[in-house]
Amino acid sequence: MPTDTPKHIRDFSIIAHIDHGKSTIADRILEQTHTVAERDMEAQILDSMDIERERGITIKSQAVRVMYRADDGQEYQFNLIDTPGHVDFSYEVSRSLAACDGAVLVVDATQGVEAQTVSNALLAMNANLEIIPAINKIDLPSADPQRVRDEIEEGLAIPCDDAVEVSGKTGVGIHDLLEAVVRDIPAPGGDPDAPLKALIFDSYFDSYRGVVALVRVVDGCLRTGQRISFMQSGLTIEVEEVGVRRPANTPLDDLGVGEVGYLVTGIKDPLQIRVGDTVTDATRPAAEPLPGYREVKPMVFTGLFPIDTEDFDNLRDALDKLSLNDPAIVYTPETSVALGFGFRTGFLGLLHMEVVKERLEREFGLDLIATAPSVEYRAYMRGGELREIKSPQDMPDPAGIDRIEEPYLKVKVLVPPDYVGAVMDLTIEHRGVFEDMVYLSPTNVEMHWSMPLSELIMDYFDQLKSRTRGYASLDYEFSGYKPGDLVRLDILLAGEKIDALSFIVHRDKAQARGRVLCQKLKDIIPRQQYEVAIQAAIGGRVIARETVRAMRKDVLAKCYGGDISRKRKLLEKQKEGKKRMKAIGSVEVPQEAFMAILKVDE
Amino acid sequence: MSPAGEGDLARALYLHVPFCVRRCRYCDFATCAVSCDDPLVGAYEAALSRTAERLASAGLLSGVRTAYVGGGTPSIATAPLAGLVGAVGRLCPRLGELTCEANPDSLSPEASRILASSGVGRVSLGVQSLADPELRRLGRVHDASRARAAARGVVDAGMRLSCDLMCAIPLQTPESLALSIDGVLECGAGHVSVYPLTVEDGTPLARACEAGEEAYPDDDFEADLMELAARTLQSHGLARYEVASYALPGQRCAHNEAYWTGVPYLGVGTSAASMLTPGGYGMLREALPLLEVRAEDETLSHDETDVARVRLTMVDPPRDFVRAVDSGGRLRVEVETLTTREAVAEDMMLSLRMTEGMPPELVGRGRSCGMGAALDRAIERATGDGLAERASDGSIVPTRRGWLLGNELYGLFWGLAHD
Repeated sequence: MPTDTPKHIRDFSIIAHIDHGKSTIADRILEQTHTVAERDMEAQILDSMDIERERGITIKSQAVRVMYRADDGQEYQFNLIDTPGHVDFSYEVSRSLAACDGAVLVVDATQGVEAQTVSNALLAMNANLEIIPAINKIDLPSADPQRVRDEIEEGLAIPCDDAVEVSGKTGVGIHDLLEAVVRDIPAPGGDPDAPLKALIFDSYFDSYRGVVALVRVVDGCLRTGQRISFMQSGLTIEVEEVGVRRPANTPLDDLGVGEVGYLVTGIKDPLQIRVGDTVTDATRPAAEPLPGYREVKPMVFTGLFPIDTEDFDNLRDALDKLSLNDPAIVYTPETSVALGFGFRTGFLGLLHMEVVKERLEREFGLDLIATAPSVEYRAYMRGGELREIKSPQDMPDPAGIDRIEEPYLKVKVLVPPDYVGAVMDLTIEHRGVFEDMVYLSPTNVEMHWSMPLSELIMDYFDQLKSRTRGYASLDYEFSGYKPGDLVRLDILLAGEKIDALSFIVHRDKAQARGRVLCQKLKDIIPRQQYEVAIQAAIGGRVIARETVRAMRKDVLAKCYGGDISRKRKLLEKQKEGKKRMKAIGSVEVPQEAFMAILKVDE
Repeated sequence: MSPAGEGDLARALYLHVPFCVRRCRYCDFATCAVSCDDPLVGAYEAALSRTAERLASAGLLSGVRTAYVGGGTPSIATAPLAGLVGAVGRLCPRLGELTCEANPDSLSPEASRILASSGVGRVSLGVQSLADPELRRLGRVHDASRARAAARGVVDAGMRLSCDLMCAIPLQTPESLALSIDGVLECGAGHVSVYPLTVEDGTPLARACEAGEEAYPDDDFEADLMELAARTLQSHGLARYEVASYALPGQRCAHNEAYWTGVPYLGVGTSAASMLTPGGYGMLREALPLLEVRAEDETLSHDETDVARVRLTMVDPPRDFVRAVDSGGRLRVEVETLTTREAVAEDMMLSLRMTEGMPPELVGRGRSCGMGAALDRAIERATGDGLAERASDGSIVPTRRGWLLGNELYGLFWGLAHD
């Protein structure tokens, strides 16, 4: 394949609120440009992780090269990056946007502008990208493209004269969209003769080939066999292979200005390559690196512990490899009396946490317990010292504390006017403070709140969706720390304090939450040989109590002729079931107990 | 493998008849529904007889003391069954106990007389309950009066009678269970087995429970009824000798005891299980060259230098079984081998199903195969948790709590099979 001149290259992302149909549009583009033969076409082809297909969401950005012969008779090289829509993954979006010159902003013709439509559009504008609005799902009877155009123009100040109307489902309008990409998105403007500068915008670990980086060449040329250095880490290596994804990996001799592709480094230590680093020629280095990324700051912390304590090193190894692909994960070793050795792990949000836990379990074969997520509190001690509380166990003796502060969010909720009351009730229950609201259109209100992060992670999103029949959309960003009256609630099983079940809660809510949690645990903890008392306590004071009655009967009395193997297998199955639980003292505790606190409906 | 000797000979023979006129809602046993005059039944039982003949002519049945024809419903057709048990009697010179399983709907007094004259000394009758609504709910074919008539027919024909009863079945009350127990004792049962209803995966009952149409049996209720059954039976002189089995003096089922005491036995027919020494297994392979062992089982897999016990199961469905025996085809078996330590752990697990429990001799075998401290911990745990206690002769025996929480107890000792 001849190297295209930059004039015929278009690098762009598809951005949208979750479920507005990005991945389907990407599928249609691959199909209509014959990048993927029809017989190989499957839904969400760029979402290669099992979790993505099962959940129908995009978690990782994916870059693919598409060749398009436009109406002007010329052939163009499109480098298309499909991005996640969920707020937890907005850092993935901003990383991908740094490798683009334009973005297709997909908006659902029935839902209109939603919270992450706004956020992602702002990210694209801040990155100086050309934005093409694409109104999707126009095949649906309830589609209202005119209203959506109005919302985009009024709410986002993006002109909609050139907006395209498409259906990812039927393929209508995809051709117009491809033409708009050729027409409206500028070609990359780098210098082919300047020293090499390429941005690493993603990377992953391949067991055979080591670290593979996804790069966009800004200046110069990146060749197989070239000696390159990483400007941030200082590491120098020889390039094993460069190539592009179509969507299968296709090796090339080189990548020129504006081209997006992969780079096989052969490096086996995942920690040596940083996303955001700049690749340059080792013998003729660039003077300045490209601007890196803003460091992402984890917001939600949880303890991750292997059920089998011998898996600790495997967990460390898995986190090292996974964080390569997902630099938003941070982790430090943590010890729990109940659960042994593990890692305090920071995530961007709850979905991010669930996805990472699931990936660790599936891709690395680990069985993990995650403790209830917590946020990072700050305790100002009477002596003036500041202590960061990432885990409930770090909470100092209340006597020594002057005040505790907790992280607050600026929360944006977009909702039809009928549900404003429901959102008010719910958010006030979650200690939210109302700031203001604006009408984006007669059917779409944007409400602004200030709210503790700890409340948002307590089932707020699920409740918001259920109380507004799925109409509300949510976005948030960190706004700062504010004081709060916070206490640590401890859970005791059979009289023994279980550190991994402790959590920090506002004093006014402690009683109710303790009570509900005890009831919840009573349902979750199976009956055992002995009665198990479940208690919730603040300081030494017990505020709630439940009892799991002792098991009375557990015996397979039935005779299967002489088929003793069958009886043995049953015993082994029971033992396996117990392995999935954690023996804490004399009590077998199922994994879901540690997350029960999250699902406490008061 | 060591040369075969007397200790390698099977002491018990099991013959499986996998036919019923209808499958009950809760049943997950190997059986299939056929009409009672289906020629397959006769052909299959003739194939069982022929297999037994081959075993006998190779000398493999010379040690057999007990035989048991189980099902399914062996009583589904009397003539072929009489032929089969007659053959077993002729082929096993040292036979002392011959039991036949039967269901009340197919065991007429006439059938009982025929079986008795063919050599059957003991009938295990699937009564389950003597309350008609409960029987209907279980999907049983018979009613209570039919069950009583069949039970009396067994006794009148001069055979020993054992009845199976179920507890914690839908609609059952403590009173109705007590009435069922009284009823079978009145009919002359000298042996009763009481099994709690188990919801087995894949059965119509399991589907009904999943759909919420039927309630899952309640553990507390099951426990109460199991204890009620134990009290009632014991008050009538039937002592518990196994977790689910009660007998008048001298009426224990010697055949079932063989399963729980680690003596070798042979099982013939669809899904029938055998337990043999390696020497006994070698003899079986020689006697039945048509046995086909899966390639992965052939090596006597995991630890070839230490095979103490071989368990095998015949897996052919009835038609294939008949074809294999008649035309010299292959008879497929699944084979599992146990190391010395696994065999000892298995014996411990099984011994604790019995009133006699685990004798000091078995504990000693555990020590000599390296269970050491783990064995002490298991015994300590079992006694500490009140699941077992030490009898005056030093045996470890189940307690009342240990009967109800048997899986906890058995699991502790099977867990000693590996480090």
